[in-house]
Order: sequence, then C-alpha cells, then structure tokens
Amino acid sequence: MNKGTQLTLVLVLLGLFYLFYEGLWGNPRHIPTVLIGTDAPMVEGPDVETGEIISLEQFKGKVVLLNFWASWCYECKVEHESVLELHRLFKDNPNFVMLGVNYQDKLPDAQQYLKEYGTTFAHMRDLKGQLAIDYGVYGVPETFVIDQQGKIRYKYVGPVTGHMYTKITQEIIAPLLKGQPVSTAS
Amino acid sequence: MLMIIRLMIAAMFILTTPWSGLAEVQDESALDIQVREIAKTLRCTVCQTENIWESGAPLAQQMRGVVRDRLKLGHSPEDIKEYFLSRYGDYIMMQPPAHGVNWLLWLGPFILLLGGGLLLYKEVIGWVRRTPANPTAPPPPLDEQARQRLERELES
Repeated sequence: MNKGTQLTLVLVLLGLFYLFYEGLWGNPRHIPTVLIGTDAPMVEGPDVETGEIISLEQFKGKVVLLNFWASWCYECKVEHESVLELHRLFKDNPNFVMLGVNYQDKLPDAQQYLKEYGTTFAHMRDLKGQLAIDYGVYGVPETFVIDQQGKIRYKYVGPVTGHMYTKITQEIIAPLLKGQPVSTAS
Repeated sequence: MLMIIRLMIAAMFILTTPWSGLAEVQDESALDIQVREIAKTLRCTVCQTENIWESGAPLAQQMRGVVRDRLKLGHSPEDIKEYFLSRYGDYIMMQPPAHGVNWLLWLGPFILLLGGGLLLYKEVIGWVRRTPANPTAPPPPLDEQARQRLERELES
C-alpha cells in the first residue's frame, strides 16, 4: 500500500468518523427540512389573547409568516424586537399575514409575555404540540414562510435577527409578495 | 321463585361484568403495545440518540400522543411512520431507511472496520519487519567519540 492510498484511507476513515459524530451528537436543527415546497398544514388553534379559533385556512392566497415561540424561550426574547419590526415592515400589504404559534407554554405565561414585550399580530396556541409536529418543529424559535399558493417556501431555526432578518425580509418575503421566485436555502 | 330469579340475575352479573371489563383492559393493552412498538422506532428530535418511547422530553411525549391518537383513528403503523417521515425526514427514524446517502450509515461501520483493520495490519507488518531477526546479537561497536562520552558520563 503506497503513501497516497494510505492517506486516502485515513481521510475516508476520518470523514466517516466525522459523519457519525455529527449524526450522533450534532445539532438536529442544522438538518435540512423536507418541508420546503410541500403544502403547508392548515392548522388551527385558539388565539392566545381572545380564545377565538384562528385557522390558517382563512389566510389562503396570502404570504404567511408563522413564528413558533414560547415565553420560556430565551432566543424568542432575543428575536422579539426584530419580529415586531418585520411585521411593521409588511403589515400594510394586504397580501401579508403574520401569525405567532405559542408552543409548549402555559396560557398565563404566554399572555404575560405578550403584555410585557408587546405584540402587533395574532398568536395561536399549540395545545397538544400537534401544530409543531405538523410543521416538523425541533424547538423554538422557528420561522416558516408560506407562499400565496399555500406552499412552505422557507424555514429558519433560531432567532430572526441581523443577517437572517435581512434575508427573510429582502430575499424571501418581498419577492414572494411580488410573485417572484425565492431561494429556499436557509 | 323470587330467590331463584335473584340468584340468576346475580350469576349473570358475575359472569358478564368481569369479562367485559377484562376485554376493555386487553384492548387498552393492545393499543399501548402498538404505541410502544411504533414509538421505539421514532427518534426524539430534541434528545441525543433516544427514541420517543424512552424520552421524557415534552416533544417526545407529544409525539407519543400523536402516535396514540392516529392509531385510535385507525391509521396503520406504516401510515404513522410515513407521517413523521414527511414532517422530519429520515432523521426521525431510529433506523434510517436504506437509500441514497443513508447507505453510508449502514455500510460505514463495516468500511471503518475494514479500513481500520487494513491500516492496523499494515502497521503491525511494518513493526515486525523493522524488528531485528536476532535480538540477542551483539550491538554494533561504538565509535570512539561515543565511547569517550559514555565513559565520562559513567565516571561523573
């Protein structure tokens, strides 16, 4: 076995070790989603503040941003201002809707959170975790963008701040509202 | 006569009630077994290498609830696994389906074993070849400079 073959073998083995390490201990949040381009599940749940049922079905034909959050989630607090800013940016567009999905939370805690940090859009409760599982959610915060045809066009795991805020607003939502194609890589 | 009727009613009650109760328990157990069997094949996505049956994470509990609800609705185990696959991809399966890049997972351990074994074999053969054939043979004589240094060190 010459040196070149030995080196190739060592590199292949190290590569396999790395893949196994990533598979066993890597963060599953980095795994690409299988949901892009699929029909968005038409979920529904009670409004956190009013208790009235909100259904995604009623927003068909609009670009919808779904943001999963919880009051106990630190990263949700980190992104909160950006999320509100994002809503301010597009709220006047009649083809845009933004919805929060409150995940694995107690109602009083969720209500207190919204009172404390403020909100300008509706939030539905995920009572049994079914909504989150329908959307293949790993944890919060997670953000989905659904196009006017009801297809999931983008998913981001983590706080929508800085570079991600710019990407979602300028490269995802704005083109979708103009009916332009978007890059789905997160 | 009244006594006989009462005895018959009591006998009917004793004979029917426990059996119907037991049937319910058996149904519940069968459902539990099905939930467990399916849950053991699904990975808890927020845990490290744990299935949703063993995990105590809230998401795993909710996933077990979804499995139970869907079984009650008459979905087959394959339908339920397909549903989770459609939401989370192959990562959700404790045993990833054998297709595409997943073949690396199935064949990887054997490749590691074979490659590692080959390298080890090569190294061992190298060591054996480098070892002198006769270890008791006298070492080569020291040159003059080395001999003087050794003597100095022994004297000090």
